[in-house]
Amino acid sequence: MRYPIAGALALALCIPAAPALAHHSMAMFDQTKTVTLSGTVKEFQWTNPHCYIQLMVKDASGKDVEWSLEMGAPMYLYAKGWRPSVLKAGMPIKVTINPLRNGDPGGVVLTATTADGKQIGRNLSRAVS
Amino acid sequence: MRTLPLLATVAVLAFAAIPAGAQRAAKIPARLPDWSGLWVPEGNDTAISGLPEAATEARAEGKTPPPGGFNRPLFGFGAPWNEEGKRRQAARQGETANCRAQGWGFPMLMNADAPIQFFVTRDKVMILNAYRDVTDVRMAAKHPSEDDLWPTVWGDSIGHWEGDTLVIDTIAVKNPHDYFHGAPPLSDKAHYVQRIRMDKPHHLIDDITIEDPTTLTGPWKAHLAFMPAEGFERMVYDNYDNDRTECGTDSGIAPPKDEQKSSG
Repeated sequence: MRYPIAGALALALCIPAAPALAHHSMAMFDQTKTVTLSGTVKEFQWTNPHCYIQLMVKDASGKDVEWSLEMGAPMYLYAKGWRPSVLKAGMPIKVTINPLRNGDPGGVVLTATTADGKQIGRNLSRAVS
Repeated sequence: MRTLPLLATVAVLAFAAIPAGAQRAAKIPARLPDWSGLWVPEGNDTAISGLPEAATEARAEGKTPPPGGFNRPLFGFGAPWNEEGKRRQAARQGETANCRAQGWGFPMLMNADAPIQFFVTRDKVMILNAYRDVTDVRMAAKHPSEDDLWPTVWGDSIGHWEGDTLVIDTIAVKNPHDYFHGAPPLSDKAHYVQRIRMDKPHHLIDDITIEDPTTLTGPWKAHLAFMPAEGFERMVYDNYDNDRTECGTDSGIAPPKDEQKSSG
């Protein structure tokens, strides 16, 4: 189900302790769905206002699909031990995301690990299974 | 006894004859406080998602995020808005183009989850954040005359020391909400007074009072606290040149720039 970004923002603004009013509303991401992707890094964009991982992921038919995966701003990643050098093109990784509601191959990154399960930087204070 | 009033008068006249700069210098503490390092607001921990850590953790586990979020009193939901202020707040809630965030501006730079740093000298204090927003505080007695002021997103700041407390007086700030979508919709007539001090080791507090005859019924007081930023050995600056957000829509993430060029 799609719902207007305005509605989501209005809801966020009505709540005194507004949750997570970031650079933009997060309504475009479906927080009821958590998807795990395994793929190969095409590009890591260390940029403002968001970092992005361009990840090549094979779909069910074996075709490569490029996903645009949004992250926080560089300063937030830096505080968690991330650097521009942590992801190189061709590197296999695994990420958990909230996907885009519109069905496009994209989402917001919640956790990221190497292919063999090692946390990249410090995703969260405690490990999430 | 008659000599005392005479001596006092002489002392006052002598002080009045001291150049203004020297008078101000007399109020500067002999030893300036050490607020070096990077500081982040207490109670805000941002994950790699750009969301609060608790919310990110819940989402990663497929759970409902806990209520609350970033600790941002300067968003202004508890401010004593008057009718004009309420009108602006209502307009704000109906916005869709919510991507005005090339920086945080004043006063939000004090309440972002981005780190800030203080540069304290005898004649100036500068507060700088990761977007290079700056509060440039002159140790001066008064602002320029109204005719010689022009509003900016950072305002005009003067300051003085009261013991170990830095008092910053800021005016001529453009409506902060026009610069950053999360900021309060105050007018450029607003007057901001901050009282910043280290109340205990590794802990700074900032008591801020805002008065705005255009949008507030009375003084709006907020309390901010800061702790040393962990994970930084340097400030992380970056240009704002990769906004792939399709603002005002729910249409998602724009393709990378190289693909936009090749398709355009």
